[in-house]
Amino acid sequence: MNKAENTGKRLSGGVKGYLLLLIMVLISWGIFKIITPDNFGSPKNMLSYFEASLLAAVGAVGFYFVMVMGMFDFSIGANIMLSAIVGCVFANRFGLGYFGLVIGAILTGAIVGLLNGAFYVKLRIPSMIVTTGLALIYESVANFIAGGVEQTLPSDLRAFGQMPGNLILAVIAFAVAYLLLNYTRIGTYTYAIGSNEFVAKNMGIKVNKYKVLAFIISGAFLGVMAVLTISYGSSMVAVTGMASMSRNFVPTMGCFFGLAFKKYGMPIPAIIIGEFVINIIFFGFIALGAPTAVQDVITGLALLIIVMLTTKVAKGEIVK
Amino acid sequence: MPIQIFKHFFKTGELKKQHVINLIRSSLPIIGLIAVFIVFNTLTHGSMWNSRKLILNQIYVVMISATGVFFIMSMGGLDFSQGSIMGIASIVVCKLSGTNIWLAVAGGILAGAAIGAFNAYFYVGRKIKSFIVTICTMFLFRGVIKYMASNSPVAASMKVYDYDTTAIKLGITFAVLLISFIVFRFTSFGIHLKAIGAGEKAVKFAGVRTDRVKFLIYVLAGAITGLAAFVNIVKNGSATANVGNQLETQILIALVLGGMPISGGAKVKFENVIVGSLLYIVLTNGLIMMGLTTQMMQLIQGIVFLIFVALFADRENLSVIK
Amino acid sequence: MSDIRLEVKKVSKTFGITKALQDVSFNIAKGEIHALIGENGSGKSTLTNSLAGIYHKDRGTFLLDGKEVDPANQVEANNEGISIIVQELGTLDGLTVAENIFLGHEEQFVKFGIKNTAAMNRKANELLKKYGFDKIKAPDMIDDYNFEDRKLVEIVKATYFSPKIVVIDETTTALSREGRDELYKQMKRIREEGNTVIFISHDLPEVLEMSDTITVLRDGVYIDTVKSSEIDEDGLKKLMVGRDVTGAYYRTDYGEEVSSEVVMKVEDVTVPGLISDVNFELHKGEILGFGGLSESGMHEIGKACFGASFDREGRVTLADGTQINDIPTAIAHSIAYTSKDRDNESLVMNQSIRDNICLPSLKELSNKAHMLSDKKLKSFAEEFAKKMSTKMQSVDQFVSNLSGGNKQKVVLARWIGKDSDILLLDSPTRGIDIKVKQDIYRLMDEMRKSGKSIIMISEELTELIGMCDRIIIMKDGRINGELLRSADIDENSLIAKMV
Repeated sequence: MNKAENTGKRLSGGVKGYLLLLIMVLISWGIFKIITPDNFGSPKNMLSYFEASLLAAVGAVGFYFVMVMGMFDFSIGANIMLSAIVGCVFANRFGLGYFGLVIGAILTGAIVGLLNGAFYVKLRIPSMIVTTGLALIYESVANFIAGGVEQTLPSDLRAFGQMPGNLILAVIAFAVAYLLLNYTRIGTYTYAIGSNEFVAKNMGIKVNKYKVLAFIISGAFLGVMAVLTISYGSSMVAVTGMASMSRNFVPTMGCFFGLAFKKYGMPIPAIIIGEFVINIIFFGFIALGAPTAVQDVITGLALLIIVMLTTKVAKGEIVK
Repeated sequence: MPIQIFKHFFKTGELKKQHVINLIRSSLPIIGLIAVFIVFNTLTHGSMWNSRKLILNQIYVVMISATGVFFIMSMGGLDFSQGSIMGIASIVVCKLSGTNIWLAVAGGILAGAAIGAFNAYFYVGRKIKSFIVTICTMFLFRGVIKYMASNSPVAASMKVYDYDTTAIKLGITFAVLLISFIVFRFTSFGIHLKAIGAGEKAVKFAGVRTDRVKFLIYVLAGAITGLAAFVNIVKNGSATANVGNQLETQILIALVLGGMPISGGAKVKFENVIVGSLLYIVLTNGLIMMGLTTQMMQLIQGIVFLIFVALFADRENLSVIK
Repeated sequence: MSDIRLEVKKVSKTFGITKALQDVSFNIAKGEIHALIGENGSGKSTLTNSLAGIYHKDRGTFLLDGKEVDPANQVEANNEGISIIVQELGTLDGLTVAENIFLGHEEQFVKFGIKNTAAMNRKANELLKKYGFDKIKAPDMIDDYNFEDRKLVEIVKATYFSPKIVVIDETTTALSREGRDELYKQMKRIREEGNTVIFISHDLPEVLEMSDTITVLRDGVYIDTVKSSEIDEDGLKKLMVGRDVTGAYYRTDYGEEVSSEVVMKVEDVTVPGLISDVNFELHKGEILGFGGLSESGMHEIGKACFGASFDREGRVTLADGTQINDIPTAIAHSIAYTSKDRDNESLVMNQSIRDNICLPSLKELSNKAHMLSDKKLKSFAEEFAKKMSTKMQSVDQFVSNLSGGNKQKVVLARWIGKDSDILLLDSPTRGIDIKVKQDIYRLMDEMRKSGKSIIMISEELTELIGMCDRIIIMKDGRINGELLRSADIDENSLIAKMV
């Protein structure tokens, strides 16, 4: 009897999480459907919103490993840009096709992650500061590689920009993240370090090694996101002056969904559905005819509100 | 030989060693400034010195707004929204400059203070980490700036050019620095700020209304940048959609170059603002004069930034580095 | 020779300038429950933490069954056959029960890098069942369980692999009666299996009842090892406190009349989850003690009176009718507070002694134009640091480099400098050596005589009995009794009201 009660409680945790997310999807859909019923929210529209949300969701499930440990990364945007450009160069200039695109981007992403992690661990500086400095460097490297020219992916290499290519790649990425999180030591240690670094260290966990590993995983997933991004948008411009930071927002938002739903034991589904909700809202505003500048306002405000709603701060805790 | 002096110091105990490290820390930015200045003047055959007026003209805005961020960073916070504050305040200054120049100054300061208060509400009131709040507001207000200045730049009244004199710009800069220095160094405010950076909980238990201080600092930093926006408009005459872009990164790099420990606390010194801003401007101008491309400059900036952060980070102040 | 399990040989450990352990040597036998006792700061936990790989000793050796062990972390210690259950929570949020039990020992379930979660859960459930903890389920998140159940998980985690030595560090104080009984049962089982338990506890009757042998430490120095059957509580106390503690250690007066003037009135104070319906009055020139188990809520009393509690209900009123609801008001009305968590709540660690002492007095130290002068701050800090005979190089030194006792002196110097009339002292002598303790007791006595009122919250019953005019005992967040100063009170009368 006791057991039944317990499993009942567990089930309801997961179910509760899914219900909450479903309600969010319905509400965001409902509001815009009422305001602008004609050009928003048909099943076909919804599918395209979902496709668009896959990009950031893939990056977010990787970034989740870093965020759970309590670290941050400001170089996400620069990483995506650099990985996409390298992937494009591999595929195009070196003539390696799809193989070059995928491997080039993922490898670059992972190397960027390795550098982030290594500098963070070795220099012992807060991760967001290290990654700010490194983002400057990644942006300029991307510029050197691109040679100041927009990098365009040939039209015969854009299978990952549409159904079913994008879905297949995204599902593989989600599955890998799920596997890493639930069926390897990496997942256990990620949560352990996030929970209490000192205790984790005492338990013989090589904290620094797993922190670097988290950055590498995050980087590799951002590499996959880069593949999807350039396939979806067909080209990538190497910007400078921290302009790549605007690409940080959407994956970060998804991550906050993951962190908030961690307690229901379903962070990855929460990230995927969370990104979907964010995209519904974006496309809702587009359907309303809001100018692009207003998109930035909404993005900034949306992240603020999501963070505000999803983070719980203990009384008296010091927030910097 | 310096190395032997080092060895001698290292032998005479932990505290001496700490003393030497502190000495190096505090003198390195100044030495760096002098060295960079000499190197670039030699490399450019003195053309840097000859264009000092041009360089000076770039210092005002960075130095004034860095003062506000300096206060924020002293207490361990961060502010990435400075560029957008600059942008909004610049637009306000432009719009009001036709009516009355004093109104324009006040408007700029108020607009800056208002965004500062917006930041502070989420940071202090809702307890969200300062860097998350400020990257959100950076993006948010950048959107507003783009919306207002996307079709054509917002032009100021021609009257503002009357104020484009070195005396006024330098005067404002000096006034801000002097007042800030006195307040930071000789009132309880400075001690409170540094103490919050070093251990906020204990400061609260010593009777300081830390939340109020934190709130006011963000408002103040916004107001100071609002004032800098006036100087910016006096210089440029109009606000484009890019106005103030990247200012936050420039300030962050400038402060770090000046020897500012990234987590604030007891080791913060007011010189950090002055030396850092000067070093940053001299360095970037020198690199431009050397004919370096934008991406090359950014690469060098990134590397120098990381080296200086690593050198000046106050790691004792961070038990767990996240 | 053959029945010695662990030889501790000349083990030393320092933290900064505090000598936590000095050349400690003694033996522990197989198949015994060996208690380790001593006052706070005597080095018990430092010793066992070094043995279990949490700290690293500076010098000396541990010989386990004749073989030297020097584990770098807890997992290495486990592999050597040493495990530990710590005072605070040793389980990690965000992991399942099974993951917590096998943390660091996952290799048995990992094949080709893939973790067999099902097998891990099955094994954990088997273990939980064997221990009789059926109500805990392996796949559940540990976050879903309360403190007691999490301690049970820790017991499984620390003992399932039959280690040669299990250290139990002050675990009992936080447990209920049933929890304790469960722990005792497990301790006896370990002994029956021929293995050794090292048991750290403040509760002397418990120590005498449970252990076979007792080793006493004092100020990081080994004092003696005795058979439990050959000693009583008084004997142990004598060993713990030492001979140099004479009558002058505490107050010596009895029967002095305490003023009837009330300086602070606490009415119906409740802090959700911590204390409920607390009512008392503090008199002028009185030392009022608060005692209880560490989870009894007594530590919140200080915070509540200082206006530092969150969501506090009820009233704290001063003689002039002022209500204390926040810290600045409290300080402005001459109330001082020293926290149990000295390093976080009382002191700004990476800040100079000068600024730490001056912090609440900056208003008084500034001139009419609100300006401060370095010279004035320095002389103020020096005056009061010297008054407290703080050992330091200069007031510009950072507080983080001071010993526990000197840190506390800086805290007290701050409030003496502020000339506070009501002092709320939470665990004022925690982790402080006997010499400084004596200074603090003397200071408290002087303050009392000069008409200042003190609330002293302490887990050390002897100092409460020695110093207080009145002792209030807390239990489960409520006041559970009050005793007046008398030469006849002993610890048992307090303990009776505590548990």
